[in-house]
Amino acid sequence: MKWVENLLNRARPMFEEGGHFHAFKPVFDAMDAFLFAPLERTVTSPHVRDALDVKRYMSMVIVAMVPCLLASIYFFGLRVLAMIVVSYAVGGAVEVLFAVVRKEEINEGFLVTGLLFPLVLPPALPLWMVGVGVAFGVLVGKELFGGTGRNLFNPALVGRCFLALSYPKAMSSDWLEPGSGLFGRATEWASDVVTEATPLAAAKNGQWASLPDLLLGNVTGSAGETSALALILGGVLLVAIGVANWRTVAATLASFALMTVFIVRGDGQVAHDTVWHLLSGGLLFGAFFMATDPVTSPMTSGGKWVYGLLIGVATALIRHYTGYVEGVMFAILLGNVFAPVLDEVFISLHVRRLSREG
Amino acid sequence: MRFRGGYDVFIKGRPSAKVEILPDPDVLHLPLHSRRFDFAEVCVADGQEVRTGAVLAKDNDHYGVPLLAPRGGTVRLGRPAGHITLTDLHPDDEEPCPLDEATHIAGDGGSIGIKRYKLLNLGAWQFFSDVHTGRVVDPFGMPTGVIVSTLHLEPFQARGDVQLRKRLVAFTRGLEHLQTLLEYEPIYLLMPDIRSPLAAEVRQTIRGYAWAKLVEVPLRYPFDNLSLLSRRLGLKPTPDKPVWAVPTGGILAADRALTLNKPCNVQILTVGGPAAEKPIHLKAMPGYPIKDILAGRTTGEDVRVIEGGILTGRQLSDDHVGLDIECTGLTVLAEQTRREMLSFVRPGWSRRSYSKCFVSAIRGRFLEEPTTALRGELRPCVACGHCVKVCPAEIMPNAIHKLLYQDDLDGAQRLRVDLCIECGLCSYVCPSKIDLRDQFIAASAEIERERLAEQEAEA
Repeated sequence: MKWVENLLNRARPMFEEGGHFHAFKPVFDAMDAFLFAPLERTVTSPHVRDALDVKRYMSMVIVAMVPCLLASIYFFGLRVLAMIVVSYAVGGAVEVLFAVVRKEEINEGFLVTGLLFPLVLPPALPLWMVGVGVAFGVLVGKELFGGTGRNLFNPALVGRCFLALSYPKAMSSDWLEPGSGLFGRATEWASDVVTEATPLAAAKNGQWASLPDLLLGNVTGSAGETSALALILGGVLLVAIGVANWRTVAATLASFALMTVFIVRGDGQVAHDTVWHLLSGGLLFGAFFMATDPVTSPMTSGGKWVYGLLIGVATALIRHYTGYVEGVMFAILLGNVFAPVLDEVFISLHVRRLSREG
Repeated sequence: MRFRGGYDVFIKGRPSAKVEILPDPDVLHLPLHSRRFDFAEVCVADGQEVRTGAVLAKDNDHYGVPLLAPRGGTVRLGRPAGHITLTDLHPDDEEPCPLDEATHIAGDGGSIGIKRYKLLNLGAWQFFSDVHTGRVVDPFGMPTGVIVSTLHLEPFQARGDVQLRKRLVAFTRGLEHLQTLLEYEPIYLLMPDIRSPLAAEVRQTIRGYAWAKLVEVPLRYPFDNLSLLSRRLGLKPTPDKPVWAVPTGGILAADRALTLNKPCNVQILTVGGPAAEKPIHLKAMPGYPIKDILAGRTTGEDVRVIEGGILTGRQLSDDHVGLDIECTGLTVLAEQTRREMLSFVRPGWSRRSYSKCFVSAIRGRFLEEPTTALRGELRPCVACGHCVKVCPAEIMPNAIHKLLYQDDLDGAQRLRVDLCIECGLCSYVCPSKIDLRDQFIAASAEIERERLAEQEAEA
C-alpha cells in the first residue's frame, strides 16, 4: 500500500499554501487522515500517547450501530441505504463547507451523526427531506455552535426535530410495513407507503403489538429503532467498551421503567406494559445512542445520573400525557438543555469536597 | 490511604535491577543548568586546578546549592557553552577538598546547624525538596513532616529499592542522621510492600534510632507522587514549615556527608525505554558525557533521548552534553517515522489503551513498544471523560480545559488546577491529543505570577 501513500504525498503540494487547490485542503487532509495514521510526533511530555484517537472512538459507535443498521435494511429495504448515502453526502458537504471557511480540519464526529440521523427517520421519508434535515441538523445543531465538541444539542436530533415540526405528516403517519422471510426487504426498493400507525400510536387505540415482534423489530417505526434486540446488542457493546456511559443508560431506562410502572399501575398488566413500553418506539435507540453522546450530555457522573433521570421521566410523561405518541426526541433535547446546568451544580459540589479535604 | 485514578503505562525497556559501574571518563562536562537549578555564580577560573569536592559554582536562588567537582582536574570554562568542563582528571583516591570553617553557622543553629551546613556544602541538600513546589527547602527551616520515598513508579527511572538492597546500612544510618536534624516532626518512609523481608530488615535496623513510619504505597503510577501522598497523609504544610521530600539517593548522600565527611559525587541513573539496547541501572558521576553513557546502548539512529521519565521527562537537547546532578534516568524512544494505513479499523491486538476500544482489552498485561507518535490528530475535546477517570488528583481536566480554552483563569483556579500533580496521565489518555498537562502547568504558573504581582502591589 506504499503507492497510495506516495500518491498522496505527490498530490500534497497542490493543496498546500500557494497550490491550485489550497481551498480544499481540509478535504485532502480528511482523506489523508482517513487513510493513514498521522505522522505527528509528541512535542512535550508525555512523550508517548495512548493508542486511542477520536477516529477510533467514533468508529466504535459505528461498529455498535451495525446490528441495528442490518436490521433496518432487512425490515425496510434498500431505501434505508439510500437515506444514509444522502445523509452522508449532504451533511458532509455542510461539514466540508464549514471546514473550508473556518480553515479547520474536518471532524470525525460527523461520521456518527451522518449515520445516526437516517436511522431515526421514518423509512418512507422522501430523500430530499433527509437532505434538508441533515443540512439543518449539522448547520444549526453543530456548526453554528463551533463544530464538534462545542455543540449544545445532539445534531441528529436537531435535524429530526426540524423535520418533525416542518413535515408532520411525512414524519408521523407515513410508515413502511416491515419485511419478512429470509431476506425481508433487503433486496427491494420498498416505496409502497402504508399509513399504518406505529405500535405506540396503535396502542393508544388499544391495539398492542406483540412483545416478540417488538423485540425482533417486526413492526413499523423509524428505520433503526424497531429492533430492540439489535439495539441492545450494539448498545451493550457500546457500554462495555466505555464509549457510552453506563450511568446515562441505566438512569434513563430505570427512571423510564419506574415512571411507567407508576403511570400504568391501574390496569393489572403492569409488568407486561412496562416491558412493552421499554421495547417500543425510540427509547432504546435514544438511551443507548443519543442520550450518551458525550458532548451533549453532562461530564460529571452525578450530572449523568440526573440527566438520564430527566430523559426517562420526560419520555414517559410525553408518551402518556401529551398529544405526541413518542417523546424520546424531545426528552433528550430537554436533557441537552439541562446538561450545562447539571455540570455546573455537580462540579461545584466536587470542588467543595476537594477544598474541604484540603 | 485512599487512592483514585492512576494508570500504568506498560512499555518495553524496564531497566534490570543490576547496577553497572561506569569507568572513569577522560573528561567531565558539568551542566550549569538542570531542571531546577541554575548555577549562575561560577566560583572557579579557566585553567584552575581543583580537587575532588571543590565548589565549582553555586545556585544562589536555591540557598547556594553548590555544583561540586566529582573528581579533581583542570577547569575549562565555556567549552562547550553552559558547562564547566574538567579535564586531566585525577584518580579517585585523593583526599577530598576540606570544608570551609563552619563555626560561624554553629552559633545560629547549634549542632543541627553544622550538620545542615555540611549537607549543603557536600552536595546532599539538593535532594531535600518541598513536596508541593519541588524547590529545594530552606537549609535552616523546619518541616511539617518528612517523606522519604524509595519508589519511582514512572517508567523509567532509578528505583530506590535497587539502591537500597546493597546499601541498607548506609540508608538506615542516613535516616538516623535525618532524625537528628528534626525536633519531633514525623518521618514517613514509603515502601512498595511493608511486609516484605526488605521492609522488615529496614524496620529492624532503624528501630530505636530513627522514628520512621513505614507507609505502603500501591504500585500504580503516580501514587508515589509526593504532593499527592502529602495530601493523602493529611499533612498540612505552611509556607514556613513545608513538607520535605527526600529520595533514597538523598538519604545515602546525607549519610555520606555526615558519616564520612565526603561529597556526593556519584549518582544512580537508568538507561531504559523501548529503544534502549539493554535497559540497565548505571552508576556514574555528574558531568559524565551523555554520548559515552548512551554509546552502544540505543537501538537505531533516529531516537529521542528524554531526561527523566517517559511521562514527565523532557527531551534532552543536543547542547546538553554532560550528565546533570538531578538526572535519575535517560529514556530512549524511537521517533515516529512511518504511517500505518487504515490503522483505526484494525482490531488492535497489540495496541494497549486505557480505553477498551481495542481488542487488546480482553488481553492481560502486555508490554507495548511505542514511538513518539502522537497516534491521532489534534481535535476539540469530545468529553469522553477518560482524563477525569485517570486523574489521581481528583480534579476534572476536561472541565478545566474548557475554561482555559475560554481564557477563564479564575474559573480554572476555582476548579483547583493548583492540585494538579503534573503526572501527565490526562495528556496520555486524551483521544483528542490535547496537551492538558502543559496547559495546566502554564495556567498554574500564570496564577502564581498574578498572585505575586498582587502581593507586590499590596506591599
